[in-house]
This record gives sequence, structure tokens and C-alpha cells, in this order.
Amino acid sequence: MTMDRAASRTRIAHRASRAVIILLLAAGCLVFAMPVYTSLAMSLKTPAELSTTAAWSWPKALTFANYQEVLSNPSVDFFRLFWNTVTISTLATIGTVLSASLVAYAFAKMNFSGRDRLFAVMLSTMMLPAIVTMIPTYILFKELRWVNTILPLTVPAFFGGGAFNIFLLRQFFMGIPKELDEAAKIEGAGHWTIYSRVVMPLSGSALATVGVFCFIYNWRDFMGPLIYLNDPQLQTLETGLATYNSLRAEQWHLLMAGSILVTIPLIVIFFLGQRYFVKGISMTGLK
Amino acid sequence: MRRSVFHQAALALMLGLGLLPAAARADVELRLVVWDGDESLRVLRNVTQEFEKAHPGIKVRLENVDYRYFFQRLLSQIAGNSAPDVAMLDPQNMQMFAKRGSLLALDPLIAETPGFRLDEYYDPIVEVHRWQDNLYVLPRDIAPIGLIYYNKRLFQEAGLAEPDGTWTWDFEPRPELGSKCFTYVMSRLTKKAADGKVRQWGFAPSWTGAFTDTVVFSQGARYVDNPAAFDTLNFTDPRVIRAFDFVASLANDKKWMPSQSELTSVVQSTAVDLFIAQRVAMYQCGIWDVPKIRKALKPGSKEFFEWDITLAPGYKDPKTGTISRAAPTGGSGYGILASTRHPKEAWLLTQWMAGEPGMRAMAKAGIAQPAIKRLAQGEDWIPGPNTPLEQRYPANRIVTDLAAREVIFPPTADYWMEISGLVFSKTEPIYLGTSTAEAALTEGERIASQRLATILKEEALPSFDWRIGGTVGVLLLAATILWIYWPERRIKRSPAQRLENRISLLFLAPWILGTLLFAVGPMIFSFLMSFTKWDIIQAADFRGIGNYREALFQDPRFWTTVKVTMVYTVVSVPLGMVFALALALLLNTKVRGMPVYRTFFYLPALASAVASALIWRKIFQPEGGLLNSALFGADGQRNLLGLGSWLAPGGELPNWLGDERLALPSLIIMSLWGVGGGMVILLAGLQGIPDYYYEAATLDGAGIWSKFKVITLPLVSPSLFFTLITGVIGSFQVFTQAFVMTQGGPNDATRFYMLHLYDQSFGSLRMGYASALAWLLFAAVFVVTRIQWRLNKYVYYEGAP
Repeated sequence: MTMDRAASRTRIAHRASRAVIILLLAAGCLVFAMPVYTSLAMSLKTPAELSTTAAWSWPKALTFANYQEVLSNPSVDFFRLFWNTVTISTLATIGTVLSASLVAYAFAKMNFSGRDRLFAVMLSTMMLPAIVTMIPTYILFKELRWVNTILPLTVPAFFGGGAFNIFLLRQFFMGIPKELDEAAKIEGAGHWTIYSRVVMPLSGSALATVGVFCFIYNWRDFMGPLIYLNDPQLQTLETGLATYNSLRAEQWHLLMAGSILVTIPLIVIFFLGQRYFVKGISMTGLK
Repeated sequence: MRRSVFHQAALALMLGLGLLPAAARADVELRLVVWDGDESLRVLRNVTQEFEKAHPGIKVRLENVDYRYFFQRLLSQIAGNSAPDVAMLDPQNMQMFAKRGSLLALDPLIAETPGFRLDEYYDPIVEVHRWQDNLYVLPRDIAPIGLIYYNKRLFQEAGLAEPDGTWTWDFEPRPELGSKCFTYVMSRLTKKAADGKVRQWGFAPSWTGAFTDTVVFSQGARYVDNPAAFDTLNFTDPRVIRAFDFVASLANDKKWMPSQSELTSVVQSTAVDLFIAQRVAMYQCGIWDVPKIRKALKPGSKEFFEWDITLAPGYKDPKTGTISRAAPTGGSGYGILASTRHPKEAWLLTQWMAGEPGMRAMAKAGIAQPAIKRLAQGEDWIPGPNTPLEQRYPANRIVTDLAAREVIFPPTADYWMEISGLVFSKTEPIYLGTSTAEAALTEGERIASQRLATILKEEALPSFDWRIGGTVGVLLLAATILWIYWPERRIKRSPAQRLENRISLLFLAPWILGTLLFAVGPMIFSFLMSFTKWDIIQAADFRGIGNYREALFQDPRFWTTVKVTMVYTVVSVPLGMVFALALALLLNTKVRGMPVYRTFFYLPALASAVASALIWRKIFQPEGGLLNSALFGADGQRNLLGLGSWLAPGGELPNWLGDERLALPSLIIMSLWGVGGGMVILLAGLQGIPDYYYEAATLDGAGIWSKFKVITLPLVSPSLFFTLITGVIGSFQVFTQAFVMTQGGPNDATRFYMLHLYDQSFGSLRMGYASALAWLLFAAVFVVTRIQWRLNKYVYYEGAP
């Protein structure tokens, strides 16, 4: 009898906490969906309705004319920009995941001379504002004859992938139990084997995180394509969208329709990628 | 460049024989870069295509970059010697390129062109594009902000005669003048509800500052002594002070005009939206709003009302009785870059774009008022009997010709931006009603005059010696490598250790190569430049530690921006971490549909920054904003937890972004919304914690809190440590939020260090000084990170080597 009551009490407590969690999640969804919801609502209004109604009010009558206009604008060739952006983001992401994981492995799992100070040097490359290195970097790429190609936006990713990503992966790699690589070492495995057979397979969540971040970052990058790609044919979606956001001549209806189109692939990528955030090193089988 | 005679002869022969049909056309490709939006870009595209048709052999590549980034990109390209051939320029930015030799003087080209008549252009727009007697930009449009758009219906309803442009403004309404007194008209067209709330304003400026300029200039006052190269400021002229007080009182006391914060937040973003929504009866702007109004107010649609434009009011001097007018003005044109390899073709293109073909097309679309008088008075611009119905508005376009004769351009001296920025950041409190014009302008002028004296003081500096610079650079690199290995110099390495070192080099190779190739050079370059005076375009001069001394002891904004950035970092980073962890824990629970929830929670990081900025403005707006509605209720009477009296002692609703005390906290609140990145990283960390740890702890009878403390926190600590370190590094460099939301205001309350650095680098072309600022920031972040690294020993790494 008392057991039953205790059990039912825990069941009630359990249900109550679940209800609270779902309530919090729902509230969070409402709050965090605001920007996309507002863009969507604005993108489905006529210019006249946009001027006379609140930003977040739902359109009285849906119009898809804005989408049509964005997709068929000859000045901003959406489909071409889309493929340019896909190419750049994909290449940069592949490069980053490959090279950052190698470097992070060395910092996390190897014991070489000068490691900690070299790591400090690596972190310090994040600390200098990019504005002051922009001109010399531009001149450098100009001398390499890379300006007006996608090389400045993709090749550096294959060379380390940036301190942020290396640091992030290093933190995750350091969380992989030492017993695992030691066991591999005893069986005669070298670092390459430990990297490719032990660490990488166990780091799905970390690699997915870095990959998704990197993809989103490059997809949304504005300054890079703007500076390095002169040719309108080579531009990306983000620089194309800026055409609708010109100072003094904002075209909110087209800008918002464009934003939604640019954001949808990212939502899909994130949705697919987040499955891999789940279950990283939990299936270690240790102990 | 020089080809051999033989080569040329061979080429000519082949051409003559028709063997090289492609080369015969020998296409010259010209790069033309403009800052137009979508609407004018469509027009320009047609114009360039017509140019290509009329000039076979010349191809035009039209590049478009928004004004906000235009000069940063152009400067990079000039520095990299890959500038376009023809660029759009305006009076405010022309001088900085002209005086550094980046532009071709147009006078010799004009002299060589038979039939070219510069006197067809409006005089003021030509004159403003001269520097030291040479013309550098051929104007394409003139854009006086001296027009008043008005709603005819609301004038009729109020029983007022329609304005004919002969009106004057006065500090007080003059009912005896009727519709000839702008101030009186403004008061009559304002409608207030019983509770005192404004239902309809009489007037709205597109930019409060531009209206103040109108009031200042029409009294005959000017901000500086010589627009092209001033050394005296006139901000404390009694006429200027009175103008600021007048404009502020119209918004704050009389409420005939929306205040600046109301203006940017009521419907979408600008006065034109208020006008379309019939919430203001008249507003001041240039001609460029016409396409937007036409699109929103189609004749026959239910939104439509009759509207037109007229001249902004003049000022009648009470003593002499003379009426004077003045329209603050912009305008733009095309300049030819000195680096072009095809000056002849570039001149042809410039004449085309800033001549009849270009202007006619822009005029027809109603986008830009032609800079050629004849066209501005002709049928393309002024509607006639054959004009299609939707293009007939506004009918009274002839006033643009009158406005173009009374224009006042902003000073063209290239230091005006910085100097005026110092004054105008002090004048924001006038509009907010928290400071008198006299106090604010006196203070602003004092700071700006000091700065002006520094700028105008010529320093005799030796040119920067690149041999010494290069040597120092190599030494620096060597010193860094030495520093890395110094602690290990005495350690005897075992063969195993040596092997480990060698293999590690293979793993590190991508990063080491990449750093040496792409990062080290630019970093050393900027470090060297921090000891120079360097304007990006010309060669650098050696300034020793002058930049560092200036930053620490002379720069009026340095310590302000340090303080703002510190406060932001200290508050927003820990808050953001707690918030991100809380969200990650929530998203780590086992509930059905979690992938969907996670995606929703990450949406702010995926959404467009423009949309987010727009929404935050709505959230923070004083009247009817989401935040104030939540805190004070829809009627503004509720006082939740006594917050109201604390936030806004005056009894008015808090003006989040407009209030000096609240602006920075507002940006911090905003930053919490963007914790998606940290949340995902922590979530990935949480996902790595095996379930059986928790199961074992439950069996041991551990509660939620002790499980959190003993399992969750240690195991997620590597991720937490990462978010802390990168969070601090990032927040020292915070830029975008303030750049988009507040531009550093009000009164420098949100002027982050990076904002100042950006203004110095690409705004004032003081890249040497900006580099010094950057390296000071670097040193600070390095030290702070070093100190934080001590926390590393509390971080629990399961696989610590």
C-alpha cells in the first residue's frame, strides 16, 4: 500500500516535471521562432500592406508575388547564386572538418614539445580583429591571383579550418577516455590509427557540430564574398540579398522573401545535422 | 605592356586577313561599380546594355555594393591594385580619393570632347565635386532633401489650402498667416486623442537631423567656415542652438512631429511608411521615396489617396523680412579611377551614365532627379499629358528644379565625418529631451575642436622603411618560435619523444602551413602598420609609438569605448553561458519531437540578421513595444514588480534603445537571444555523457542537484570552458549589434571598441592608428585569456594525457 502510494507519487512528480518541460519547450519555440515567423509574414504581404500593418501581423491575403519576383530577378540570378553558395559552403565545410580534426587530435591526444605554448599561439590568432588584416590579406590573395575566384573562400579551410573549430574539437577529443587510446596503443596502433579508428568514430556529435557551424557560417558570410568576388556571376546568396537592403531603398517585401529562401536550406541542414549531435562518445563500452 | 613591333605587325596582318575574328573585336571590359538598390539596378542594367550596343567592342561589368560597405571594398581594391574603372562617388567621399591621387581629373577629358557642355549641369552639384579646381566626378543626380510630401485629403479635411511652396516656418505657429505658416499647418494637422496620445502627426522628418539642418541652414547659419577644408566649427552659433531646441520641442513638448525613436519604430522603419499609413500628413525627404509610394498607393486601390510634393518652407528674417531657403542635399556621380587601363573608354561610359542616356532612364523610373537642368525640366521628369496614370504622382515635380537651386551640401573635407560624428553623438540627448541644446552643443564642439586641432596639426614624419620593417617582422616570427620552445630547451628528449614530435608535425602540418601562408604575413603587416601613419592608399609614414600614445592619452573616445566593451563582456558572457546551459539541459531531456524543438531553438542563429534587427527594434520601442507591453500592460499603467518606477522615473515608458542608461542593457538582453551557438556546443557535450552514469547515481540515491553537480557539470566542463574562452574573445570584438541597432548611440552609451576601430580604419582612413587599436585589443584579450586559462585545472577531461 505505501509502496503503491510512493510509486504513484513519483509518477505524478514525473508527469508534472514532464509537463513543465513541455511547457518550457513550447514557450521557447514561440520566442525563438519570432524572427523567422516575422520574415515569413512580411514576405507574404504586398508592399502596401507592409507599410500599413504591424510587422508580425499575419497577411490578410497571402501573396506569393514577392517570391516570384525574387526568383526571376535578372539582376540577382537566384539559382546561380544558390549554386555558388552551395559550392563554397560545401568545400569550406569539408576542408574544415578534415583539417581541424587532424590538428585538434595533435593538441588533444599527443604529447609533443612546446604543445601548450603553440596552442596559445593558435588561440591568439582569434584575438586580432580581422579589419586590420583585411587589406594585407586582400593583397596576398591578389598576388596569388586568387581574387575573383572562390579560392580565398575555400582553400584556407583546408589549412586548419580556423582556431575556433580546432579548439572546439580539441575540447571534445580530450573528453574521450584515455583508456581507449592506451588500449589501442598496447595493440600496436599508431596515432593515425587511433585518430581514424578510435577518435573520429567516437566524435560524431562534435564533428557534426563543427560541420553544421561551418556550413552556416560560410552560407551567411557576407564580407568574404563581397571583397574577393567582383564578378556578379560569382556572388553568393548573402551578397545578392543585400541588393534588396540598399540604404534608403529597402525593399522589405523582396528582402524578406529572399531571406526565407536563403534560410530554408539552413533549417534543413540543421534539422538533419542535429541527429548526429546526439550520441557521441556514450557507446564507449568501457566499464 | 609593350609588345614587339613584329608581334604587332603579325597581329595587324592577321586582323587584316580576318583570321582573328574574336580578337578583331578586342573587347575592352570596363568594371563599373555602383551602390544602387534593386530598383535602380534594373534601370542601370538596361542603360549599360544600350551603351554596349552603341559602342561595339566595349563590355561593361556592372557591380553593385551597398553604400554601407562600398568604400571598404573600393579601398581594399585600390590597395590591391585591382580597382574598377568607373565608380559611383558622392561629394562626401570624393575628396578622400581625389586628394590621394586615386581619381582622374575630368577637365582634360572634357576639353577633348567636342560638344560636351558642363554648364548644362546644375552649378552646385558640379562645384561640390571639385577639389583644388579640378573636377573629379561627373554628377548623375542631385538629391535635395528639401521636399515636403503631403497628403491632400488631410489638408482638405483640416480646411487648409494646399501648400504652394511659398510658405515659411517660424519658431511659433502664426495662425494669422494660415497655410503660409508651416509651423501652424503642422499644429493644425496633428490629431490627439482624449488621453493626449497622438493619432496623427502633422509632420515627420525622414531624418530628424536633416530637418534640423533645414532649420539651421535656412536661417543662414553653417556648421563650419569652409566646407572643403574647414578649421573652425560654428555649432555654438545661437541660430544653431535655437534650431536644435526648436526641433526637439516639436517632438517632445508640442508632439506635432514624431520623436526619433517613434519615427524608427512605429510601423516599419521610416517616415514614408507613416505617410502611406496616413499617420502623418506631411513629411520631408528627397525624391527617391517616389517609387515606394507609387507602389504602395496604386490609383484605384483602397489604400490610395491624393498626394503631392512641395518645397520645404523657408525662413523669414524678422528684421529684414527677406525669405531664405536651404535644402540639405546629397547627390552622386561617376568618377574614373586613376588606375584604369582604358581611360578613353571609361570616359565614354562616364558620359553615358552621367549624361542623357543614364539620367533619362533614371528620371523616367522616378528614381533620381537629373543633374542636367534641361532634363530635370523636361517631360521625362515632369509629368505631362502623355504620362501614364501611375507615373503622374507626384504632379508638382517642377519644385525639384527650384529645390536644386537652393541646395547646401554637407562639408566635403574628408575629416567632416569624424568631426561631425563627435558632435552629433552629443546632440542625441537634445532630441531625447535629456539635455539642452546649449549644453550639448558646447560640449560637442569642445571635444570636436580638440580633435580637429590634432587632425590639422601637420606632422613631419619620415617614410616607413620596409627593409627595417621586414627585418623586424622576421625577428618577431623567430621570437615567437623561440618563445614556444624556450621552456623545453634543457629537456633531454627520449627517442620515443622525438618520434612523437615528428609525427605531431604531420598532424599539425595543415595548420602550420596555413598559418604561415595566410595568417602570419597579414598579422605582422598590421603590427608594423601600428607604428605608422597609413591611409590605405598612399605609402605609410613612420610614427613610432605615436599611435599608441594617441590612443591611451589623447583619443577622446578610447576610454569610453573600453568601458562600454568591458561592461558588456562582464555581464553578457556569464549570463549567456548560464542561459545557454539552461537551454541545453532543457533540450537534452527525453521528450518526443525533440529534433523539432532543437531546430526551433536554433532559429535565431539561422534567421537573417536584418529580420532580427527589425524585430528587436519592435520589441524595444517605447510605445506599444513588446517589452513595455509585457512590463506595463497595454495601457502603460501597470507597474510590474515596481520595475516601472525604477526604469523610468519620469513616469514615461522606458525608451530602451534611446535611453543612455538602458541602451547597453538592451543590447545585452539581445545577445541572450543569440546563444544558439553556445547552446548547441553544450548540448553536444551533454549528449556525450553516458546514461549509465546517471542510472548508477540514481541507484545510489542521488538527487537532481547532486547529479548535476557531480556528473553533469564536470563532464560538460570542457564545453563550458570553451564557451567561456571563445565568448570572451568574441565579446571583446563585439560589433554587429551596435552597428545595426544603435550606431554607438545614444551619447556613446553603446560605442563598442570595435565600432571606434572600424570608424578609424575605413571611415577616417587611419589604418595605422586602427592597427594600433587592434594590437592594444589583442594584448588585452591575450592577458585576459591567460588569466582565465587558470580555470583549466578545474576542467574535467576524461582523456587528459
